[in-house]
Amino acid sequence: MTSFGRALWHVVYWTHERATWQYDVMVAAILGFIWLTPPDWLGDPTATGGGLLVWLWNVFRG
Amino acid sequence: MTTTGLIGAICMLPLRAMIRAAVVLRIHPNVLTAIGVCINVAAAWALALGRFVTAGVIMIVANIFDFIDGKVARERNLESEFGGFWDSVMDRFSDISLFLGLIYLYSALGRTDYVMITALAMMFSVLTSYTRARAESLIEKCKVGFMERPERIVLFMIGAFTNRMAAVLWVILVLSIFTVADRIYYTWRELDRAKRGAGVAA
Repeated sequence: MTSFGRALWHVVYWTHERATWQYDVMVAAILGFIWLTPPDWLGDPTATGGGLLVWLWNVFRG
Repeated sequence: MTTTGLIGAICMLPLRAMIRAAVVLRIHPNVLTAIGVCINVAAAWALALGRFVTAGVIMIVANIFDFIDGKVARERNLESEFGGFWDSVMDRFSDISLFLGLIYLYSALGRTDYVMITALAMMFSVLTSYTRARAESLIEKCKVGFMERPERIVLFMIGAFTNRMAAVLWVILVLSIFTVADRIYYTWRELDRAKRGAGVAA
C-alpha cells in the first residue's frame, strides 16, 4: 500500500485517541469543509451568504 | 499539548467549579442527567423553529449537565451500574431529539433531501452507539471510529452558531457510516482472532 493509501486507510479506519496530532488534523479538515464549502454547493436550506471561501475569494480579487 | 487538548483544558476550568458546586449542593448525578436531557429538548425545539443561535446556547447549557454528571458521581462515590445505563439511554434520547428538531425544520421548509440526510445521520448515529454497546458484550473494548457523541455535539454547536448545519450533517453522516463500519470490522477481527486462538490452544 502506498503512503497515501495508508493515510487514507487510517482516516477511514480511525483508531487514534483524542488530543493527538492526528485528531487535530482531522478536526482541521472537518472545520475546513464546514466553513470553506460554499453553502450553495450543498444546497443548504438555511445558510445565508456565500461562506468563507467566497468571502476570501472576493477579498483577494479586491 | 495538542490544540484540541489545550481547548479541552481551558474548558475544564469553569466546569471544575460547576462540579464542585454540584457536589457541595449534594445534587444527585442522575438528576443532573435528567435536567440535561430536558434542556436538550428545548434546544431541539429551537432547532425546529430555525433559531440556531438560541439552540446553540441551550445546547451548551444542556451539555454542561451531561458532562458533569459522571464526574459528580465519581466525586460523591455514587457511581452505579444503573447510573451508567440511565446516562446512556438519556444520551440517545438527547441525540435523537436534536435530529428530530432538524427533521421538523427541513420538513417545514419542504426540503425532502435534507429530511433524508438528517434521518440517515440520525440512524447511523444511533448505530454508532449500538455497535459499540453490542460489541462490548462480545469483546473487551470497541473504541474505534472517529464520530462519537462528543464530536457530534460539538459539530451540532458549530453548525448552529455559524449557520452551517447542512455541512455539519454531511460530516456527521459520512463519519458515522465510517465509524459503524470500523466497529463491525474491528469486532469481526477480534472475534476471529479469539476463535483462532482457541483453535490453537485446543
